[in-house]
Amino acid sequence: MPSRTAGQDFLKGLWQENPIFRQMLGMCPTLAVTNAVINGIAMGLATAFVLIFSSFLISLIKKLIPNQVRIACYVVIIATFVTIADRFLAAFFPPISKSLGPFVPLIVVNCIILGRAEAFASKNSPGRSVIDALGMSAGFIMALLILSSIREVLGSGTFLGYRVLGGWFEPWVIMVLPPGAFITLGILMAISLQLERKKRER
Amino acid sequence: MSLSSRMVVVLTGVGLLSGGFLASVGILTKDRIALNKKMEIERAIVSVVPGSVAGETLYEEKEFIVYGGKNEAGDLQGFAIYTSGIGFQDKIVLMIGVDASLSRLNGLAVLDQKETPGLGAKITDRPSFLVYWENKDFTRTFSLRKPPAPAPESLSASEVNTITGATISSEAVLSIVNAAREKVRALREEGKLALGGPHAE
Repeated sequence: MPSRTAGQDFLKGLWQENPIFRQMLGMCPTLAVTNAVINGIAMGLATAFVLIFSSFLISLIKKLIPNQVRIACYVVIIATFVTIADRFLAAFFPPISKSLGPFVPLIVVNCIILGRAEAFASKNSPGRSVIDALGMSAGFIMALLILSSIREVLGSGTFLGYRVLGGWFEPWVIMVLPPGAFITLGILMAISLQLERKKRER
Repeated sequence: MSLSSRMVVVLTGVGLLSGGFLASVGILTKDRIALNKKMEIERAIVSVVPGSVAGETLYEEKEFIVYGGKNEAGDLQGFAIYTSGIGFQDKIVLMIGVDASLSRLNGLAVLDQKETPGLGAKITDRPSFLVYWENKDFTRTFSLRKPPAPAPESLSASEVNTITGATISSEAVLSIVNAAREKVRALREEGKLALGGPHAE
């Protein structure tokens, strides 16, 4: 599993260690905000911002932090960046901030971020930590994008707010409701596992 | 340095730095966030009071504000009532537009809601809900028509539709509007709604 090159550090987040499909981390925001593509993108970017900066900072000061209080320190650092992201969205993108509701503050407890801090940033150099965070963010955004595209198109007949399916299409309301999130995620998970199995057989 | 004092120093340091940093971010974004709120309210007033370009606070109490919508000359074009009530899961905040004689409801704007996406959240959707609240009789209590709702024109002047699958949200909006209606009429009788009145800014 330990990767050697920067490319590997980045790429593992996209597939091998994809936070959603492989590590099954950050399920709460994944399921909750993917009812529209714009929400998925905004949540992905906000999480990426927090993940990249907190990974960098944690990796930078990892030697100063006593082992016993490391989790507390990580949480404070993560919470700081989350609050910055939250205020920034409220100030400059009020509609997005409104539709994400409580889920931006909840990035604090998103396991992807604490997970990367604990599993990677606290053991590797700042540079590699940033690359790792970039890869994980890209994987997370990709997963949210796939999930929210399927849910918005089927659940509202729109993509990014634009109507893509004609008037004949009766939206499957269940897709924008919580059950739709679980169903979609389950099917995607099955597909990704099947692909992985095929790859291994070859 | 002993381990325990190092833990105290590091945690305090991290906490202080983050606190200081957040305080400055808070100061930097505070005005902008307040401005966004103000602009949202102003936009809602203009949208529910036709002919108005600005709003003036005429009466204010907790969670209930009556704005007067004014045209460029400063004449009263109608009232915009900022009010809220409990929806399915959380507060629904509405701006209700009424004409100057309190006899006609111009329309509603939803300022905030956390109803179920795809169901109750349709209260923000014009074709399926808000259009039924336009140009209605404000002299009588409103009532709901169960779905399937006919065309907006075929409902009576005090009747509005219910969203299929979201009766609770529809009823919540109904009761918020009816309560606001009672309240604003009472205020009118007490003579508290006039431009440049004691509560004017």
